[in-house]
Amino acid sequence: MTNSLKYQWKPEFAYSSLVVGWSGDAGNLGDAVANYLINNLSGRAFYEIDPADYFQLGGVTIENDMVQFPESKFYACPQHNLVIFKSTPPSYEYYQFFNHVLDIAEHRCNVKHIYTIGSMVSLNPHTVPRQILGTFSTVEAKIDLTSYDIDSSISYETTPGQKPALNSFFLWSSRKRNLVGVDLWVPVPFYLMSLPDPKSQKIILEFFDRRFQIGFDLREFDEEIIKQNRMINEVRNIYPDIDDCLERLENNITLSEDENMKLIKMIEEYIKGKPD
Amino acid sequence: MGVILTKKPNLEKPDLIACWPGIGNIGIIAVNTLRGQVDANELGEIESWDFFYPKKAIVTSGVLEDLDFPFNKFYYKVLQKKDLLFFVGEEQPTEGERVYAEGRKAYRMANLVLDVAEQFGCRRVYTSGAAVSFTHHELEPRVWVVTSKESLTREIKAFDNTILMSDIEGKSERGSITGLNGLLLGLAKKRGFDAVCLMGEIPDYLSGVPFPYPKASKSVLELFGKILGIDIDYSPLDQMSNQVDEIIEGIYEKLPFEIKEKIEQRRMLSIPKKEIITEEDEKWLKEHLDELFKRSKGDDKLS
Repeated sequence: MTNSLKYQWKPEFAYSSLVVGWSGDAGNLGDAVANYLINNLSGRAFYEIDPADYFQLGGVTIENDMVQFPESKFYACPQHNLVIFKSTPPSYEYYQFFNHVLDIAEHRCNVKHIYTIGSMVSLNPHTVPRQILGTFSTVEAKIDLTSYDIDSSISYETTPGQKPALNSFFLWSSRKRNLVGVDLWVPVPFYLMSLPDPKSQKIILEFFDRRFQIGFDLREFDEEIIKQNRMINEVRNIYPDIDDCLERLENNITLSEDENMKLIKMIEEYIKGKPD
Repeated sequence: MGVILTKKPNLEKPDLIACWPGIGNIGIIAVNTLRGQVDANELGEIESWDFFYPKKAIVTSGVLEDLDFPFNKFYYKVLQKKDLLFFVGEEQPTEGERVYAEGRKAYRMANLVLDVAEQFGCRRVYTSGAAVSFTHHELEPRVWVVTSKESLTREIKAFDNTILMSDIEGKSERGSITGLNGLLLGLAKKRGFDAVCLMGEIPDYLSGVPFPYPKASKSVLELFGKILGIDIDYSPLDQMSNQVDEIIEGIYEKLPFEIKEKIEQRRMLSIPKKEIITEEDEKWLKEHLDELFKRSKGDDKLS
């Protein structure tokens, strides 16, 4: 355990905020937003958590002919007092893993606020505007973000047979250490869950842009959104049954499981087959 | 990571009875029934978040109220003959996707349980679980006994309806107890406790069903009652058994004749022979269990 952190250099923070993005969520949201922040804020890696204690390392995963290996890295963006943590979700020892992350955040970077990024699979069609939903660690954290366009009215209990989200566990763990935090969720249409979703990425980045007064130029996302809409329209034109499914979703009519699967397959295949 | 005890009762060399869910929930049903009947008091718990992923999040108006974790609680009861400590775990701690405890987490939890036992002067530890056996569901389940030393084996074996693993036909002198029941037993022995595991028999063809087997829990509970000198009301377990028996009969009726005939022969034998069901039969049962259960559920008013 003691060797599980690799120290590369030591950033100096009087205080900072931590942004957490996990890989592999719907719309690739966590990874994409974290990458954007790192690339556009000149984020520099400074810590890496050794995967041996938290991941099953019986081999490697291959995705699209590429080797995937668990990675859990911290990046510092000192000019904006931001720390980005980009990671593969751990396989086990969740609480210990979160405490490692929080130890670094708190003791090395003076993190006071935590923002986690997450997506949830939605039955809404892509034509419905994306909305950020917030789960806050405290009422005070909720009040602090009232001026932002975050739906903070959600109430729910995990249904039996399902598990709470990783971000909920992380938020709970950070609250045990009196850190203030919010889980930012964006519902992503189910047929886009394994594709990048620029609308979701943009809405989260708009929030960070305003919150940290960064001044991002997010016009590139508008182009990506136009492209995504265009490709889905092409699918609709080629396949009348897909158009019918999407139209029914737009009219709040639930599809059968087979129709859902077909929609996922056809849209994924079409968009992945036309990268540009 | 730790233990939170909310009381400091004055216990006189209590016995610890520990249980977790397992096959047929035989041990946990027996121990929970005993705990309820002696009206044991809550003593404290092991902090769960170090061992388990939460099972429920509760969010109200956007604020995370709490997470609900599987519980691991201690209880105690001061009795005339023998004070008791109970430990009841809602899940077995695992690493990865396995159901039964193994690895560092399980070892840590077992040690924490024994730390509390030691703190209260406990010298004897009981665990309880299932013994998958080549028996018939209409036969009274026996209780398999495994202990940490010979004198203890002689003591427990003297009670009715007990059997040693080495007495089972087809079993060699070697066997294993998986999960925390086994781990706690071994660790208790290592730390100098007297350790006993009581395992209620469950027929092999029912070991994978998704419902409890209270008939075996009753056998275990009867033995606890005798060992501890406690009068127990078995009617709640009898009621549960009646309900489960109907479900089992529903499944049993639908088994292929050849398999049923082999299982039926077990009733005629004083010592069940394991050769009666072939590996092929077992494979068939495993492959069709869900289907049989579903069909039975549809037929059964109780389910």
